[in-house]
Amino acid sequence: MGKENPAEKALNLIRGRLCDPTFVFRPLSVSSDSNYSKLKFIVSTSITEGCNNSILLLGPRGSGKAAVLDLVIGDLLEEYPDSVSVIRLNGLLHSDDNCAFKEIARQLCMEHHLLFSKMASFDENSQFIIAMLRECGLAHKTVIFVLDEFDMFAQGKQRLLYSLLDAMQSVTSQAVVVGISSRLDADQLLEKRVRSRFSHRKILFLPPSREEFDSLLEHLLSLPSDSSFPSGYVSQFNEKIKSIISDTRFKNMLKTFFNANSTVNSLLKYMLSLDVRFRAVSLMNLESGLLSLENFKAALSSLQRQPKLEAVKDCSIVELYLLVCMRRLEVKEQSSYNFISVMKEYKTIHDSFQTSDYYAQNVCLRAFEHLKERAVICYAENRGQFQTGEYRPMKLLISASELHQGMRSHACCPAMLLKLLDH
Amino acid sequence: MAAATPKSIKTQTNIYRKSYLSPSSSTLLTPQTPETLTPLRRSARHVSRRIDLGNGQENIASINGRERESIEEMNLIQKRERAPRKRTTDDDFEAKLKKPENLTTPKKKNGKSKKDSLVSEVSFSPVSPNRSETTKKRKKTEEKKTSSNKRVYYNKVEFDGVEFEVGDDVYVKRREDAVSDEEEDPEIEDCRICFKSGSNVMIECDDCLGGFHLKCLKPPLKEVPEGDWICGFCEVRKSGQTLEAPKPPEGKKLMRTAREKLLSSDLWAARIEKLWREADGVYWIRAHWYMIPEETASGRQKHNLKRELYLTNDFADIEMECILRHCFVKCPKEFSKASNDGNDVFLCEYEYDVHWHSFKRLAELADGDSESDHEWNSKKEEEEIDSDDEEMEFDDDEESGRGDSKSKRGGSTSARAANSLKGRFFGLEKVGAKRIPEHVRCHKQTELEKAKATLLLATRPKSLPCRNKEMEEITAFIKGSISDDQCLGRCMYIHGVPGTGKTISVLSVMKNLKAEVEAGSVNPYCFVEINGLKLASPENIYTVIYEALSGHRVSWKKALHSLNERFAEGKKIGKEDDKPCILLIDELDLLVTRNQSVLYNILDWPTKPNSKLIVLGIANTMDLPEKLLPRISSRMGIQRLCFGPYNHTQLQEIISTRLKGIDAFEKPAIEFASRKVAAISGDARRALEICRRAAEVADYRLKSNKTAAKNQLVIMGDVDAAIQEMFQAPHIQVMKSVSKLSKIFLTAMVHELYKTGMAETTFDKVAATVSSFCFSNGEAFPGWDILLKVGCELGECRIILCEPGERHRLQKLQLNFPSDDVAFALKDNKDLPWLANYL
Repeated sequence: MGKENPAEKALNLIRGRLCDPTFVFRPLSVSSDSNYSKLKFIVSTSITEGCNNSILLLGPRGSGKAAVLDLVIGDLLEEYPDSVSVIRLNGLLHSDDNCAFKEIARQLCMEHHLLFSKMASFDENSQFIIAMLRECGLAHKTVIFVLDEFDMFAQGKQRLLYSLLDAMQSVTSQAVVVGISSRLDADQLLEKRVRSRFSHRKILFLPPSREEFDSLLEHLLSLPSDSSFPSGYVSQFNEKIKSIISDTRFKNMLKTFFNANSTVNSLLKYMLSLDVRFRAVSLMNLESGLLSLENFKAALSSLQRQPKLEAVKDCSIVELYLLVCMRRLEVKEQSSYNFISVMKEYKTIHDSFQTSDYYAQNVCLRAFEHLKERAVICYAENRGQFQTGEYRPMKLLISASELHQGMRSHACCPAMLLKLLDH
Repeated sequence: MAAATPKSIKTQTNIYRKSYLSPSSSTLLTPQTPETLTPLRRSARHVSRRIDLGNGQENIASINGRERESIEEMNLIQKRERAPRKRTTDDDFEAKLKKPENLTTPKKKNGKSKKDSLVSEVSFSPVSPNRSETTKKRKKTEEKKTSSNKRVYYNKVEFDGVEFEVGDDVYVKRREDAVSDEEEDPEIEDCRICFKSGSNVMIECDDCLGGFHLKCLKPPLKEVPEGDWICGFCEVRKSGQTLEAPKPPEGKKLMRTAREKLLSSDLWAARIEKLWREADGVYWIRAHWYMIPEETASGRQKHNLKRELYLTNDFADIEMECILRHCFVKCPKEFSKASNDGNDVFLCEYEYDVHWHSFKRLAELADGDSESDHEWNSKKEEEEIDSDDEEMEFDDDEESGRGDSKSKRGGSTSARAANSLKGRFFGLEKVGAKRIPEHVRCHKQTELEKAKATLLLATRPKSLPCRNKEMEEITAFIKGSISDDQCLGRCMYIHGVPGTGKTISVLSVMKNLKAEVEAGSVNPYCFVEINGLKLASPENIYTVIYEALSGHRVSWKKALHSLNERFAEGKKIGKEDDKPCILLIDELDLLVTRNQSVLYNILDWPTKPNSKLIVLGIANTMDLPEKLLPRISSRMGIQRLCFGPYNHTQLQEIISTRLKGIDAFEKPAIEFASRKVAAISGDARRALEICRRAAEVADYRLKSNKTAAKNQLVIMGDVDAAIQEMFQAPHIQVMKSVSKLSKIFLTAMVHELYKTGMAETTFDKVAATVSSFCFSNGEAFPGWDILLKVGCELGECRIILCEPGERHRLQKLQLNFPSDDVAFALKDNKDLPWLANYL
C-alpha cells in the first residue's frame, strides 16, 4: 500500500497525544485558578524578583503533579532562556545524602559546562554547591531543584534538605526547591529545624470535575480539521466521537470506571488500552476506521481485571480440592493450618464422600506448591524458613465469596465441591 | 535595582585641577590594551601585601579631610591585622569613606606573604617618617639614593601633587598621541549653549549627558528640578525632528571632557590594585580595568545607564605616568546619592568576564552592608587557600609574556574538575549571565514586591527587635570571657525552638564585638562558626576547626591531635597568635556520637588552663545536657540561655520593623498572622513566610483580575488564605474529591472502627462491609481486586496506613486521620447521600 491508511494515521496521532503530558494538561491549565498558573506565578516571581522559595506539590498518584511542573519549567525556560537551570533528583534514587550531593554537583557541572570529578568528597561537593548557588545568584540565574518523591528525602537526618534550605537563607542565592510527593503528610515528615526553613507553599492536585473530563476526552480524541486527513473522514470521525461521548451507555461506563479511580492518568491509561483495541479493529475493518462504543467497552473490561478470580478459574481439580479444604478448616475456626493438616482434611472428605478424585500426597504437594506460586495461598508468617514447606503454617489469600464465584465459573468443577464449600 | 541617574549639578571644583606635565618625555611604555592582557582572576585578588603606612604626619598637615580619614583607615588596617577574622567594614567607618572599594583592600592582607624574596617585612608601625619622605616628594636625585634593588609597595603615593591610593579609580590614557593633541585637560565642562564654563550652576541632561547653565536655558531654570531632566535638543531629536545644536564660536574648539572621552573609549578607567616603585625608581600601578558597555561582547544594552561601567577581570601593570586623574566609580546606592559630585562619577554594578563574556553582580554589593560574618569568613578562607596558587601565577606573569600565560591558564583551568576543592573551585568564573536580564534592571518595584523582598528570610534585618536581653547576656558572656587577662575558657548552651533568632543573635553580637575590636575597646579574638548538620560526620568538626585556625586541611585524627596540643598544652598552631578563640557550634545535637567523645573533647578543652577557648553551643532541645553522659552535662550545663518562642506582640514588632516605610499591609492583617503563629509555634520564620505568602496571594489576586484595584494592600483574606495553606492538612480536601469507591471504602473503615473499637482491621473485613453497603444501597460491588487497588491508592496518599497489597485478604489497614475528619469530609456528599447513615 503506497498510501497510509487514514485510520492508522488517526491512531498514531491519538496515541502520540495520549503519551504527551503537555498536550493533556495544557487545556486544564488555562484558567487563573489552575495549579499551573499558581505554580507558574510563584516560580516566575522568584526568578524576576530574585528570591528563594520552596514549594510542595501534593496529590494522589497520576494527578499530574510532575506533568504540570514540567509544563511550567518548559515555559519558563522559553521565557528566560539564560537564567534558569533545573536540577532534578528522585527520592528513590538519591535519598542517600552523599549520593544526592554528588548528583547535584554533577548536574550543576553539566549545566554550566564544567568538569565534574567523581572523586570529590561530601564536603567538597556541598561547598561546591553553596559556591555555585552564590555565583548563580550573582549572575541572576535561578536554580530550580526538583525533588521527586519528596518524602524519601525526609528520611534520616535530612542533611540534603537542611543544606539546601539553609543555603537559600542568604541574599545572594536564588533558588527554588520544588518537592513532589503523593504523601499528603509530606511536610509533617520534616524535622523541626528543616520545617522552619521551608517556605510552606503547598499546591494540592485534585482530580478534575466530570465536566472537565468530558471536554478533555473530546479534546483528546477528536481529529484536527486542518490536517492531512481526508476531510470526510475527519468530520465522520469527530461526529462519531461526539455521539459516543453523549451516549448514556458510554456515560455509565465512564462512571463505573471513575468509581474506582478518578485521576487524569487513569483516564489516559484507559484511553491507551482503548487504543490497542482500536488498532485491532481498524486492522480488521479498514474501510470504517472509526471508534465505536464496543471498543470502549472492551477496553474497560481489559482494564478491570480480577486476577484472583481468574486464578481460581484456571485451577485444576486437585487444586480446587485443596482450596476447599483450607476454606473448610477456616470455617472450623482452625486459624492455623499447614499442608499436613490440609491433607488430613482432604482425607476425611474423601473418606466420608467417597469421591473419585483421590490423589497421592506427592501429587497434592505439587498442586499445593503451584497454588503458592500463583499467590492464591501464602505462608502465614515469614518466620520458620528452616522448616520444610509442608510444615509451615499457610493462609488462604482469597476470600470465600471469590472462591465461590470462581468455582461457579470454573469449566469442570465437580458439583460435590461446591456443596462441600457451603458447609 | 534600576538606579536612577543622579541629577548632577556640575559644580565648579578645582580640587583636581593640576598643571599636567606632558608625559611624553618620560613614559617608556604605553599602557597595553586590555585585550592583550591576561585577566586570570575574578574581582580584586591582586593585592598589595606590603603596605607602607608611613606617610602619616605630613599628610595631616596638609589639611585634607580625606587624607585624615585614610590615615584612620591605616590604623584600622593595623588593628585588623591583629584580628584577622573580623569583618572589615564597620558602618560608621564606611559612611565616612566615599568609596567602598577602599574597604576591599585591607581584607586581603591576611594571606600568606608572597614575594618574600622581593620585599622585606614591613612593620605596621603607624609612623615611619623616612618612608613617607620618599613617597611624598618625587625627586629623581633622592630616589637614586634611596632606591634599592627591590620593589617597594605602597598604599598611597603622591604623584605630581595628587595623591593616589590603592583602591582609587583613575582615568588612564589610552594612546600616547591622544594626550598630546589636547594640552589642557578640561576639568570643567563647557555649557552647550554659551560654550563657556563659568562658575554658574550647571544641569546635566539625562539623555546626552551634556551640561547646561541654568541661566542659558530657555526658559531659564531657577533650580535643578527633581527627577529626570532632558534638554531641549534631545527632546526635539526624540520627537523625530532635527535641530541644529548651537555651533561653538569660531576659534574655540569644543573641548571634550575626560568623561566624554571615556564613554567614547578614548580613555580608560581603572581601579588601582597595587602601587609600587620599581628598582629603577619608576612608579607603577596594577590597574584593574573598567569597561564601557560598548566594549563588551553584547554591546550597549537597553537598560544600560549612560554613566555605567563594568568592572572587568582584566589587569595590567602600567606606569603611573599614564594616569590622567581621579574619577569616581560608585555602586548604585551611592551613585544615586552622589548628585553633586561633578562630571566624573560613574556607576558600576556588574562585573564583566572578558573571556566568557559574561556578567555577574559585584559580590561586595550583593552582600549588602549587612554582610554576615559567615560569608566574610568563608571568603577570606578562600583567599587564604588561594595564595600559593596566586604565587605561581605571579611568576607566570613576570617571567613569560602575557600572551602565553593566558593560554597556559586556559589549559590548566579546563583540566581541573570544578567540584573538587584543590585550593579553590575551578571554573566558577564560567558562571555568568551572557546578558544582564532586562527584568532585573528596568523593573520598578511595587509596594507589594518591596514588601515581599523585605520579608524574605534571606534578607538580614537591620536590627533585631525583641532579643535585646538575650543579646546583652551573650555579649556579657563573651566579653567577660575574653577581656580577662587570664582568658578562661567557658561554655554556654543556647537553646530554643527553631526560628527564635538564636543564630542570628549570636552573629549580630559577634558583629558588634568586631566593631568594638576595631575601635580598640575589646581584645582581638578569632571566631569559628560551625554547623553540625553541614558536617559529613561528627568527627569532621576537628578538621574544620583546625582548618579555620591554621588554614591547612588534614585528617580528623591529626587535627584532633594538634587541637589537643593547642588547647590542652598551649602549643601554637602555625603562626597563629595567642588569641582567644570563640567557637560557635550550631545544631549541637548532631555531634552526639555513640560514645559522645566529640562533644566531650570539645567541651573539655575550655576547662584546660591555657585553652582560651569559648564554646557557644546552639540546639533546639532544652534538656540536651541532661540526655548526655554526666561528665559532659557537668561541663556544658552550667551556663544556659533560653530563647523562648516569640509572643504575638513580638512577632508583630518583628514584622512591622521589616515593613517600615512600605505601605503594603493592613494593620489587622499583620496582627492576625502574628497571633496565629504565636498560638502555634512562635516561630518568626513562619510568621514572615505567612506574610510573604499573603503578599504573594494578594499580588496574584491583583494581577489576575486586571481591574485596577485602588486598594493595593494585603487584606485579612490573603493572610487567612496563606495560613490555611500553611497549616491546614490537605487530607480533608483530598477525601472530598476521591473516587466513589474510595469514599465507600473509607466509610467502611470508620464503620469497622465504631463496631469493633479496634483501630486496626484487615482488608477481609473491610471488603465484606463494603460489599454489604453496596448491596443494601443499590451500588454495584466492583470485585475484590479492584477494591484492593482502591485501598492501596488510599494508602499511598497516607489517608490510611496499610501493608503492601500482596497480602491481599490479610492486609492490615488503619486510618491515618481521626475518624471524625473522615465523617466531616464525607457527611454531606451529593453522589452518595447514604454514606452519612454509617458515619
